[in-house]
Amino acid sequence: MATVAFREIVKEFGRTRVLHGVSLDIADGEFVVLVGPSGCGKSTLLRMLAGLEDITGGSIAIDGRVVNDVDSKDRDIAMVFQSYALYPHMTVRENMGFSLRLRNERQTVIDGRVAQAAKILNLEPYLARYPRELSGGQRQRVAMGRAIVRDPKVFLFDEPLSNLDAKLRVAMRAEIKALHQRLKTTTVYVTHDQIEAMTMADRIAVMNDGRIEQLGRPLDLYDRPANLFVAQFIGSPAMNIFDGVVRAGAVEALGARWPAAGGAEGQRVKYGMRPEHLEPAASGIAAEVVVVEPMGAETEILASIGETRLTVMTRGRSSAGPGDRIFLAPHSAHVHLFDAQSGLRI
Amino acid sequence: MTSRKLLSEAKLWLVGIPVLIWTLVPIYHIFLFSISTKDSAFSGRLWPDHPTLRNFGTVFRQEHFYLHHFWHQIWNSVWIACAAGALTMAIATCAAFAISRLKVRGGRAVMNAALFTYFIPAAFLAVPMYKAMGNYGLLNSRWSLVLAMVTIASPYAIWVLKQASDKLPWELDEAARIDGATPVQLFRLVYLPLMVPSLVAIFTYALLLAWNEYLYAFLLLSHENTIPLAVGLGHFLSSDDSPWEILMATALIYGMPPAAIYYVFRRYMVGGLTAGAVKS
Repeated sequence: MATVAFREIVKEFGRTRVLHGVSLDIADGEFVVLVGPSGCGKSTLLRMLAGLEDITGGSIAIDGRVVNDVDSKDRDIAMVFQSYALYPHMTVRENMGFSLRLRNERQTVIDGRVAQAAKILNLEPYLARYPRELSGGQRQRVAMGRAIVRDPKVFLFDEPLSNLDAKLRVAMRAEIKALHQRLKTTTVYVTHDQIEAMTMADRIAVMNDGRIEQLGRPLDLYDRPANLFVAQFIGSPAMNIFDGVVRAGAVEALGARWPAAGGAEGQRVKYGMRPEHLEPAASGIAAEVVVVEPMGAETEILASIGETRLTVMTRGRSSAGPGDRIFLAPHSAHVHLFDAQSGLRI
Repeated sequence: MTSRKLLSEAKLWLVGIPVLIWTLVPIYHIFLFSISTKDSAFSGRLWPDHPTLRNFGTVFRQEHFYLHHFWHQIWNSVWIACAAGALTMAIATCAAFAISRLKVRGGRAVMNAALFTYFIPAAFLAVPMYKAMGNYGLLNSRWSLVLAMVTIASPYAIWVLKQASDKLPWELDEAARIDGATPVQLFRLVYLPLMVPSLVAIFTYALLLAWNEYLYAFLLLSHENTIPLAVGLGHFLSSDDSPWEILMATALIYGMPPAAIYYVFRRYMVGGLTAGAVKS
């Protein structure tokens, strides 16, 4: 177990700068998720920690030791790849024991560790099989098994669930989280899927364009996004955001007055409200129903006010149909105001 | 079947049948000669009146003037072909690994140079090669032919293996590095096992190239005991009255090993070993 510290990390590929001085401290045993759209630099950051990419500037320390010039194999890390990267000519047992074999561990030790990992991951029936004889989920578990037999200081996951189907992804998500709770190994996990990030992380670093936009606990990010990017990225369905102007303690937008606290009189703002905080009511702001998506426990209604589309999430069922007129009641306690120019939270 | 399909099928047959005849007739000719007696060899019939296997006995027992060193020469052929195959494979594998997986500097230049060698016909190099071998005192040694064959086969072998290496998932190297593998361990434990089909293909290629070589063998080796059988066969033609039936019997025997090698290694020619490595 170990801490990880990124200090002012810069990465350039040729003349293109993909990371602009990223700093991040990860505590011992913490599960940190790097999340962001593709091309934001999250995988690059992880690969630099793994020693698979050179560091252009700044430093990375594992357990207080700067590892900039340390070989991957001497960093005491284990990585799970999106493509599994299992050795196709080795059985599951050999795949999992490979790192120990390279360390010249005794065979009894290797067998013991592999057996233990196989037990944790329910891989015992498959130890003699080859990767090609396994399903996607099993392969991914073998990849995780290969990581845990090492008992490394840090686990690195690079989009490990992206190749799995939706149902398996949910199951593996829970497995990885359970594994972390059991082993308590410091983990850095990269994904573009904000739901994975929300459900698994102790803390999330939302990245965009080579910078960390916000770092915090999942619900803190959800409840208090620091800027427009985080507000739009975190949460599914995404937050409703539209232009408005602060007037007399409220925001005038879409031809109506929306409850708000803060902002200077006359300030141009982006008004944000999550779909579940915008409920249909007997009276309020009028809107027209465009699409109704019943999901059983809740119903998602796509409504429009003029040209602006708003997503409304309501618990239970809805009797509204396309073309119906409904009234929206925004929760005044859950308003997110952002400066229209800087995009920063007000 | 639509008329268009029928047409394309017909075209295929139209090309295929002549090619088949073109390929098989000489082989049948060799076979026909080899089972004919000396008198009936030129009878012009499609099947001899009295087919015989005596010619093969003559060859195996070295009972003809031109065949006094038959076993020695076929052993030379085997030795030279295997050595050329093994050496080419070793050189090309190391080169491809270094260029494709370790990304050493100058790799591109090596690849371009390898391709460039094919602008020069092998025959042009015969005289310089002869001179070089003479300088090293290798003339009349089987090694001279082995080295010449390796020189000729390596560029293509490197090219092919580099392409095959590039297809191996890069993540495997990264996973191995993180697992603690040194480059040598990566080469031995991950790269080589996955390259087996390509290695066999390259080994076979170089082996057959050396097995079938005549020009360089004729130039570099001249002693009865060092020449391969290909050159030995050529000696048959040095007299006015060549024993064609025995020449063809020997040729048929000489043609067997390549056919056998193709048959044995055919399953390696198809890939599929990397299935399951990564999601594709």
